[in-house]
Amino acid sequence: MGDDKTEKKRGQKEKDKEPDITFYHPALFEVPQDGSPPFLKGYRCKQCGQLDFPKLSICPGCWGEEFEMVPLGRRGTLYAFAEVFLGQPGMTYPMTIGYVDLPENIRVFAQLDGVAAGFKCNDTVELTIGTIRMNRDGLPVTSYKFKKAAS
Amino acid sequence: MKLDRDVYIAGVGETTFGKHTSDFDVLGRQAALQAMRDAHIEKPGVVQTAYVGNVQNGIVTGQMVFKDLGMCGDLPIINVESACSAGGMAVYCAVKDVSTGVADISIAVGTENHSLTRQAGTAFAGATGDIETMHGLVFTGKYAMRANRYMFETGATPEDLAAVTVKNRRHATHNPHAWFKGNISIEEVLASRMVAFPLTLQQCCGISDGAGAVVVCSKEMTKKLGIQKPVKVSGAVVFSGPYHNGPRDLTGDDITEMAAERIYEESGIGPEDVNIIELHDAFSIAEILYYECLGLCRKGEGVKFLRDGESTYGGKCVVSPRGGMLSYGHPVGASGAAQIASCVKQMRGECAGYQVEPIPAVAMTHVTGGGMSGTEHAACTMHMLTKAW
Repeated sequence: MGDDKTEKKRGQKEKDKEPDITFYHPALFEVPQDGSPPFLKGYRCKQCGQLDFPKLSICPGCWGEEFEMVPLGRRGTLYAFAEVFLGQPGMTYPMTIGYVDLPENIRVFAQLDGVAAGFKCNDTVELTIGTIRMNRDGLPVTSYKFKKAAS
Repeated sequence: MKLDRDVYIAGVGETTFGKHTSDFDVLGRQAALQAMRDAHIEKPGVVQTAYVGNVQNGIVTGQMVFKDLGMCGDLPIINVESACSAGGMAVYCAVKDVSTGVADISIAVGTENHSLTRQAGTAFAGATGDIETMHGLVFTGKYAMRANRYMFETGATPEDLAAVTVKNRRHATHNPHAWFKGNISIEEVLASRMVAFPLTLQQCCGISDGAGAVVVCSKEMTKKLGIQKPVKVSGAVVFSGPYHNGPRDLTGDDITEMAAERIYEESGIGPEDVNIIELHDAFSIAEILYYECLGLCRKGEGVKFLRDGESTYGGKCVVSPRGGMLSYGHPVGASGAAQIASCVKQMRGECAGYQVEPIPAVAMTHVTGGGMSGTEHAACTMHMLTKAW
């Protein structure tokens, strides 16, 4: 009896809840509809010119509040990487991660496609998209990742 | 910080570290009581302000610690959180109160129980909702990236990193407060489960429970309390992680380098004069990087410093004489305060079985804290302690 009640309550709550996101954030990257490759979105402060990724709520350099979107280069240099076997609850491991330095002098943390043994520091990598985690509804969340660049 | 008047440590306390079935408040109270009794305080009503560092045990943690001690009431208790820096930052706040004259005597406690609350088999991540956290970053991964880059640049090997664990566990052999201790070989360290390549389980600090406490006071108060061996706080520094979104050197650590430069400047003590250091050895690689960041050796020579025995008993500067986080484990809110407690006991010559000889006259502590995208760490807290008797 008690169990049924709990079930009902839970069901009710789920119904009211908005579905969780499946695309990490449109302000971060663009997957063009025409099939051209995805790119990260940098934001340049219109007042002082500072370029940031990800977008900040205000420019930390001058407190400017207007930004111009700048598509960031799709290829970068893998500064460092690691293979992680144990991590946050709800994520899939092992996971290959890395810091990628983009030509615009921006460093991005991302998951890497492929096993760590396939990478070395200073490798050229390129942007791709893929699943980074599961959302609260158990559906995959798509975001940016990097993979070894085709030479 | 600029110390307007001299501040002294009158008493310290630390629990044993490891898995405890007692919650954070019990552990914190145990350390606080030890520290107050050590400072010859035998009843409530003496301490004037209190700071309690804790990260994951919920709200009003400080009041939970002090209620049973009869100290809640006119005692302002302020709870301090900055991830792994919380305990060290609580001490910084207490020092500030005495230095500025807000109080003549203050207590700082760092306490944490992870075992009762944390989900097993998970690693610590950075700020909740941060973009790097959302993409899967955990601290084991961040330090593994630093390790891989360090090995790439310097030619250091996984064996070199493992040697840090071997040293620190050996230091802890006779330390009753430490959790993991005694002989372990490089091979055993490397053969333990891989957590984040190249860091194996034995190169990552254990997720443990414990508490440390420090009573600080003015010179007059040390006399009033009859403190025989007051330790002077010759420097206390807190930095927040500077934001930068560009490429930078992760084999260094900007926030530690800034904090070190500041504390050396403020205390007038250079790295060559420091006898012992407890630093943020949460992972084997961290200790090697911090030798360099703290100026104990030149950049790129951390492994040599370790191999030459300069960071162990008999060396230039004994690093992690208590066994460090690699032996205590790292209850995040507790470690910073416990490091200071252990250093004070070393300076008083009270560490039978793991006493550094000659008895250290200068000790330094260092804890970083947390992480956010665009920073190496969200916080860094350092203290410089000198013998004052």
